[in-house]
Amino acid sequence: MADRTQLTIRIILRSILPLFKTLYNENEGFYKKMLGGVDGTIQFSVKGTDSGAYLDFKDGKLDIVQGIVEKPGIHFAFKKPEDLVAFFTGGVALPSISGLWRLRLLMKLIPLFLGLLLLMPNKQPRDTATRLLKVKLTMYMITNALSQLNKGGDEDMAAWTSKQPDRIYQLSVQPDGPAAYLRVKGGKSKSGHGVYGRKAPFMHMMFNGLDGAYKVLAENKETVQAMRDGDVKLEGSPEYAGSMGSFMVRIQNMLMPAK
Amino acid sequence: MAEGMTWSVLDGDKLTQAEIYGKVLTQLGEKNDKIIAMTADLAKSTKIGAFGDKFPERFINMGIAENSLFGVAAGLAMVGYTPVVSTFAVFAALRSAEQVRTDICYQNLDVKIIATHAGISFGQAGSTHHCTEDIAVMRSFANMTVIVPADGIETGNAVVAAMDHAGPVYIRIGRGFEPPVNTTKDYGFQIGKAVTMKDGKDVTVITCGVCVGQAMRAAKVLESQGLSVRVINMHTVKPIDREVILKAVVETRRIITVEEHNVMGGLGSAVGEVIVEGGKACAFKKLGVPDAFAIVGYPEDLYNYYKFDADGIIEAVGALMKKEIEEDENWDDET
Repeated sequence: MADRTQLTIRIILRSILPLFKTLYNENEGFYKKMLGGVDGTIQFSVKGTDSGAYLDFKDGKLDIVQGIVEKPGIHFAFKKPEDLVAFFTGGVALPSISGLWRLRLLMKLIPLFLGLLLLMPNKQPRDTATRLLKVKLTMYMITNALSQLNKGGDEDMAAWTSKQPDRIYQLSVQPDGPAAYLRVKGGKSKSGHGVYGRKAPFMHMMFNGLDGAYKVLAENKETVQAMRDGDVKLEGSPEYAGSMGSFMVRIQNMLMPAK
Repeated sequence: MAEGMTWSVLDGDKLTQAEIYGKVLTQLGEKNDKIIAMTADLAKSTKIGAFGDKFPERFINMGIAENSLFGVAAGLAMVGYTPVVSTFAVFAALRSAEQVRTDICYQNLDVKIIATHAGISFGQAGSTHHCTEDIAVMRSFANMTVIVPADGIETGNAVVAAMDHAGPVYIRIGRGFEPPVNTTKDYGFQIGKAVTMKDGKDVTVITCGVCVGQAMRAAKVLESQGLSVRVINMHTVKPIDREVILKAVVETRRIITVEEHNVMGGLGSAVGEVIVEGGKACAFKKLGVPDAFAIVGYPEDLYNYYKFDADGIIEAVGALMKKEIEEDENWDDET
């Protein structure tokens, strides 16, 4: 059975940390101004393990790289896996931070780091642009986390994907809003941004504009009620949508355990 | 013994394809006195005799003279009649190919051909009476419309639609023992518009004639195995419904055609042409009689032998699902 903490770390490092890149690119003007000319790496890791990922700033671009970099500019090192999970899921766990001599850089990064808080359920922005960003981040996170759940060896998810031919599970905000998909094929999975163009979706969750998407993805309305109210429309197999919903709840419980 | 033969006896009171067209044609004859029924000594076998019983003055038996049959039909059409010619498919499409082409199609005359005993439905009669080339031949004739109904109800619809359609029409039916797939006639039959019998997302089976029933049975089994199968009844092979094919290519990317015909030149070829012209790749497989003269046997046994019955379709779908159709096999998540 896959280790739950390791799975959670995998999802954090591979599904949540990459959202920094989306945040950075979405507000490129602001962040480039703030971080212009900054070249360096910011490592997150668990001490004594190879679990880690780092932000790599270079030539005004940001990449998220999995693994451990030698001599990072700033290093957030967590004593144990549970601490990394707690840090990213709203718990109390402070890492040891080396490279504090680059305090100025760290201060500059704070707006970017705080940007991720947008994902928290209690963050309910009022302006359209920020709501749209929250919807986009959530979609990217969900589809990627589902893929990571599979790749990380969750038995139920692996069993679910293994029986399926090439299928696309699409989420999209209608008519032309953000979109993300999960592709599944014989046990393999892949998440992607936008609308998958090579094949029609096996299941398509279509949100009725930003308002419809925000109600569901910001957890302001139950999906079933949202479907009744026309905020979301499902095309395709309801059974498979149900299974996918269960896996999404599983991920949510890993990231936001009941207090 | 193949079950299909038993079925035909037990369900003899249910109308077969041929019986239905005989009745429908007779009803149409009551309203339209321009309809002339014609055959070449096959009134009973083709069931067009029902029209002759009711309207003997508008029924012509040419004797065993198929070439003259179609030549006279062309002449009658030229002076304002609507000849409905019925004979075995092998005689209509092969023996009389020149008359159908030059006398009828070249002049775009209003002659309706109802060809029976098509495909390998005349199984025990042997290769001389099989007709696995007629779709290929007929669809190559300019002006010709080619319809392959799935069952008796659809045959009735096809006959009615053919009468409203200007120009030559070839309606291809079997020996008359085909199990029904439709339960009502009001499903919107239209020449040139395929019927989606069942929607699905993983693979599309495009079929016509007796194979529609086989495809539906296969789809049911495949669904129980977790596959989502689309079944399209392409009752009109020409003009073919391009829209429904291209939609299936994009949406399922796996297409299987199933037909009681040689795999060369028939429905599979017609669908393949549309796919190639559409410019989008998909995995594609044609099921039907291979490029050979069919062996002799009961039709149902032959369907099984050539693997285009339900079991054959299930097997082919399984193989097609394993085919790689994407160059892109990068499974890294996009971040």
